[in-house]
Amino acid sequence: MIELFLVFLVFGFLGAVLIFMNKFLGPTKTNPAKESPFECGSPYLQEGINPFPIKFYLVAFLFLLFDIEVVFFFPWALVFKEMGTTALVIMFAYMIVIVMGFIYAWKKGAFQWE
Amino acid sequence: MIPPNYFLILSIILFVLGVIAFFIKKDLLTMFMAVEVMLNATNLAFLSLARSANSIDGQVIVFFIITVAASEAAVGLAIILLVLRQKKTIKTEDIKLMKG
Amino acid sequence: MNSFFALFPLLIIVFIALAVLILEVFLKRENRDYLAYISLVFLVICAFVCIQFWNKAYYYFDGNLLLDQFALFFTFILLLSTGFVVLLSMKYISLQDVNYGEFYALLLLAVSGAIIMVSSPDLLVIILGLEVLSISSYALTGLKRKDELSSEAAIKYFLLGSFATAFLLFGLALLYGASHSTGIPTIIRYFNTEADLSLMALIGLGLIVIGFGFKIALVPFHMWTPDVYQGAPTPITAFFSVVPKAACFAIFLRIFYPFWKTAFDSQAIFWLLWGISVLTMVVGNLVALRQTNVKRILAYSSIAHAGYLLVALLAQDNSSLVFYLTVYLFMNMGAFAAVIALSKKDKEYLELEDYSGIGFKYPWIGVTLSIFLLSLAGFPPTGGFLAKFYVFSSAVRQGLVPLVIIGVLASLISVYYYLRIIVHMYMREPSREVDIVVENPALFLVLFLCLYGVLQLGLYPRNILVLINQAVSLL
Repeated sequence: MIELFLVFLVFGFLGAVLIFMNKFLGPTKTNPAKESPFECGSPYLQEGINPFPIKFYLVAFLFLLFDIEVVFFFPWALVFKEMGTTALVIMFAYMIVIVMGFIYAWKKGAFQWE
Repeated sequence: MIPPNYFLILSIILFVLGVIAFFIKKDLLTMFMAVEVMLNATNLAFLSLARSANSIDGQVIVFFIITVAASEAAVGLAIILLVLRQKKTIKTEDIKLMKG
Repeated sequence: MNSFFALFPLLIIVFIALAVLILEVFLKRENRDYLAYISLVFLVICAFVCIQFWNKAYYYFDGNLLLDQFALFFTFILLLSTGFVVLLSMKYISLQDVNYGEFYALLLLAVSGAIIMVSSPDLLVIILGLEVLSISSYALTGLKRKDELSSEAAIKYFLLGSFATAFLLFGLALLYGASHSTGIPTIIRYFNTEADLSLMALIGLGLIVIGFGFKIALVPFHMWTPDVYQGAPTPITAFFSVVPKAACFAIFLRIFYPFWKTAFDSQAIFWLLWGISVLTMVVGNLVALRQTNVKRILAYSSIAHAGYLLVALLAQDNSSLVFYLTVYLFMNMGAFAAVIALSKKDKEYLELEDYSGIGFKYPWIGVTLSIFLLSLAGFPPTGGFLAKFYVFSSAVRQGLVPLVIIGVLASLISVYYYLRIIVHMYMREPSREVDIVVENPALFLVLFLCLYGVLQLGLYPRNILVLINQAVSLL
């Protein structure tokens, strides 16, 4: 345990020293040419990151939500045998809510990519 | 085995880091990520406390917190997107229509 | 009694919210008004169910959902204010381009969250309910999608609200670690029995207070309030000024009343709340003085009112706190109704100069708004006076004289900015052209109901006090 700790200490210290040494020792003078994106060659013509269709965000949001909702199925499956019908009813109510959300998203056109 | 208290201390450190990041960052998305760090620190705290209390409740609570975080993420990202579309920026210093 | 019936009010609200959501995509745009009527009808049904359940004390889910009289009374208050908000929004949302069916669905989901909060003695369930309320609120704030103020308000509300949620959950984690439970009764019992109290539990409770303080807008945590109130659609502002406050104060009562009844030496928490209360009253009222936007004035006034409510909490007088909240509902809703009345297509009149001469041009709006503002300032014979009187007199009985002196001085300051609006309405020449849509029966219904409420509670509060005493007796 203590050796491990020492290893972490030593290498963490070394890492910190190496990171900050740069900051202390390196020259900080700047000029316009240095600040430009490319120090050689021609100036850039357009932004590096192109915007892509907003629809993808919607799909990502919906994936996030429906993905997380499924998390509750795992504990439910574990206790299903002991709880029996009650568990079934509760999960049924839960599913209704999810399906309603799904219908809403569908009808709003969140899944149409074109 | 690593004692559960270590995880509790780690979670407190993470939480404090999240709070600090929330205040020093000037970017909506990063501030939101700081909040997510805080929520995940809470998850870790619940897990370690559940272990040291030898009860299962804390582990169940984590599921709820994950859900809360996800639904907040969905609504929050949608709002950030709305701001981005209107103002073309998500820097906090550009969000200053209301004062006083 | 352990019964499935305990779920009924919640089930009604949640399912009607989902039904409205689904109907919205199938209905044509011009038929959207029906959604408001459906929401109203089911809010009334739910309120009726609550009245039927009075004295029954149903519970379910091992007592994690508990419909005692306290919960029922608060549920009724929440439903009433949501009903008012629905009535106020019917015309507003089509005039101000917020006409999305999601409006009513989100509103109903938000109030279902608040109902979950008030009807559970378990802190985890309470915080989950608060999340349902908050997340719907973030979306509601940003619903005016073309308006930059609205989306700014939404982002501010969202960031600070989720920040507060993280605090709440971490506080809950610490309390859970100390007491091995998330139920309020167990936590209180832990605070009583533990001889050497762990620092963890105290910090946990402090974090919980901070988290709820964000949602109630107590002063060190109030930064978001004026901006959010200004940017949100005005009926939603009215909703924010009543519903989350009422729900969070219900939780405060559930936590702190048993907490202070016990032998535990709770000085730290007491002085924390004392300081917050003083700050809230003083800062809320002082900053309101230099506002020129009526919505912002009302925002700061609602912050100050949270301070008076905290005085009631510190005085351990539950019934006066609940009475204050009830009166506050009527007067604040009424004031916002009058503000909403002063709007036309795509334009709201919110600056103080717009109010010049309104009193004679639109006499009904002028008179009712004046009465609500006088009630907010605490003039007799309105409900606002009686509510403040009860709170401050019980605080004096508890020996909190310095707090009462500060509170009375703060409310004297508040008279200035409330009267300023009235002076603008009656004693200034109209400087700007103001023409509004007057045919709005739903809004006038709200105005008169609120007027009735304020005067009834001010002149003859006996009946409601009996009900409130029943409701809080079982805490």
